[in-house]
Amino acid sequence: MKKKKKKRKVKTNRLHVYTPFGKSVIKDSLAYKGSFYLFVICKVLSVFITYYLWRAIFSSSDNSELGGFNQVEILTYVFMSFVCSNMVYISMTTKIGENVVDGSIAINLIKPISYKSKLFAESIGEMIYKFIVPSVFVWIGLEVYKYVILDEFSLSGIRIALFLLSSMLSFIIYFLFEFCFGMIAFYSTYVWGMEIIKNSVLSFLTGQIIPLTFFPDFAQKLFNYLPFSSMNYVPVMIYLGKISSSELIFSIERQILWILILELISIALWRRVVKRISILGG
Amino acid sequence: MRYYFKIYRLFFKQYLKSLMQSKLDFFIGLFGCLFVQASGILFLYLVFEQIPLLDGWSIKELAFIYGFSQIPKGIDHLFADYIWLLSSQMVTNGEFDRYLLRPIPPFFQLLCDRVQLDAVGELLVGGLLVYISVSNGTIRVTFIGSILFVMAILAGAVIYTSVKLFFAALAFWMTNSFPVLQLGYEISNFTKYPTSIYPKGIQFVSAFIVPFAFASFYPAEYFVRNESFITTIIAEVCVALIAWVIAFSVFKKGVSVYKSAGS
Repeated sequence: MKKKKKKRKVKTNRLHVYTPFGKSVIKDSLAYKGSFYLFVICKVLSVFITYYLWRAIFSSSDNSELGGFNQVEILTYVFMSFVCSNMVYISMTTKIGENVVDGSIAINLIKPISYKSKLFAESIGEMIYKFIVPSVFVWIGLEVYKYVILDEFSLSGIRIALFLLSSMLSFIIYFLFEFCFGMIAFYSTYVWGMEIIKNSVLSFLTGQIIPLTFFPDFAQKLFNYLPFSSMNYVPVMIYLGKISSSELIFSIERQILWILILELISIALWRRVVKRISILGG
Repeated sequence: MRYYFKIYRLFFKQYLKSLMQSKLDFFIGLFGCLFVQASGILFLYLVFEQIPLLDGWSIKELAFIYGFSQIPKGIDHLFADYIWLLSSQMVTNGEFDRYLLRPIPPFFQLLCDRVQLDAVGELLVGGLLVYISVSNGTIRVTFIGSILFVMAILAGAVIYTSVKLFFAALAFWMTNSFPVLQLGYEISNFTKYPTSIYPKGIQFVSAFIVPFAFASFYPAEYFVRNESFITTIIAEVCVALIAWVIAFSVFKKGVSVYKSAGS
């Protein structure tokens, strides 16, 4: 039944079909403002902790540079990592898990819309909301602090534009990765456990906890072949101006390449998994 | 007392049965906790590749503090994990009614409802780090030291449970206190490092408002640095008692104003 409906080729790629999903996510977040703001405070707090840890690390060191970063750069790195990952990293696993557990995914399959596009629309809505609360404020706060207290100002319009472009590519990579990862929900219902495994691995490999230059050389070479550095590290390094203009095009090309690869994987996985869900539901 | 043990055992058996249904979930949870721990240690390791001492602390000492702080956290996670559900859904969906209908204290039932075996991940890593610290001579084992160690860990676990219970009990007034609890619990992530690296404000909060520092860094300081026994272990036990009294009375007050919100 469900499969038949799926096969009927409905034109599902029109944009206006999906915009309401994005909008509804924003409305949802506005409805539960209290808990959302507490969650935001929680995250901002842990960024400050990371920063204080780094400050202690720098003041314990004789070198003014560690792993190619000076103290102002690490400040920028830590906070811009947050700005970037906060808005581009929208977790899908829990949502997919819930949809599988309570069976609402079946309803989604009957509807003449693509489940993946629906999730993507919802992600965009969430991203816009998270860009406003609190990414953009943290970003402005950081630059104001750097300008007023540290008397440093090195921003250019081009760099901001490149940062935003690269972040948008990260957003798509993240989304596709999450979508692929979320497919595990069809095999195990213990989504919480998978979430924390994924988050702890990702926070390392994407360079959120520590810049990837701190890793040993062989690990850094390995990271070049994984999609994770394209998710957070690349946009932040572009923002810092630590990627030279010749490497810059290459980095962005690599991000686009990963989007293509993950898109293909996600299509293949979805085909497999949809067959499975029809068995479960029967 | 024996009556309670018996009840606990019965609940535990039921829980094990449900666990056996999905062994995969157990391993996912266990590995999840192990991964979180491993990433914390990896961070320390990478940082110490660059510097010899962090704020005067060597990596061996930090590894002990880190490991030590994970044990009380793990014990609390093992036995009192259901408190999270009190904060997030028990009031909202009226699940708490069930507790009031039985002739057993509600808090005890809260403990009975789940043994969270994921916590084995934290206990394993914590135990391993403490073991390494003992074998490489960072910590000297003495008879009194071992007794104090056990005491410090138990008091630490009480602090964890008290903080969680306090924030979760707010759910009786707020219906959902999960975000508040999450915010409070986040503080525990700061205290696995020496708190001297933080500004005074954060030091004060982590010691006296949400006293996780007393469950990790301060007692660990006694073992690593031979700090005075009174300002560390005794202080910890006192803080644990005070925290427990406050948290439990808020919980009791909360139970008395509880109105079932579910259908």
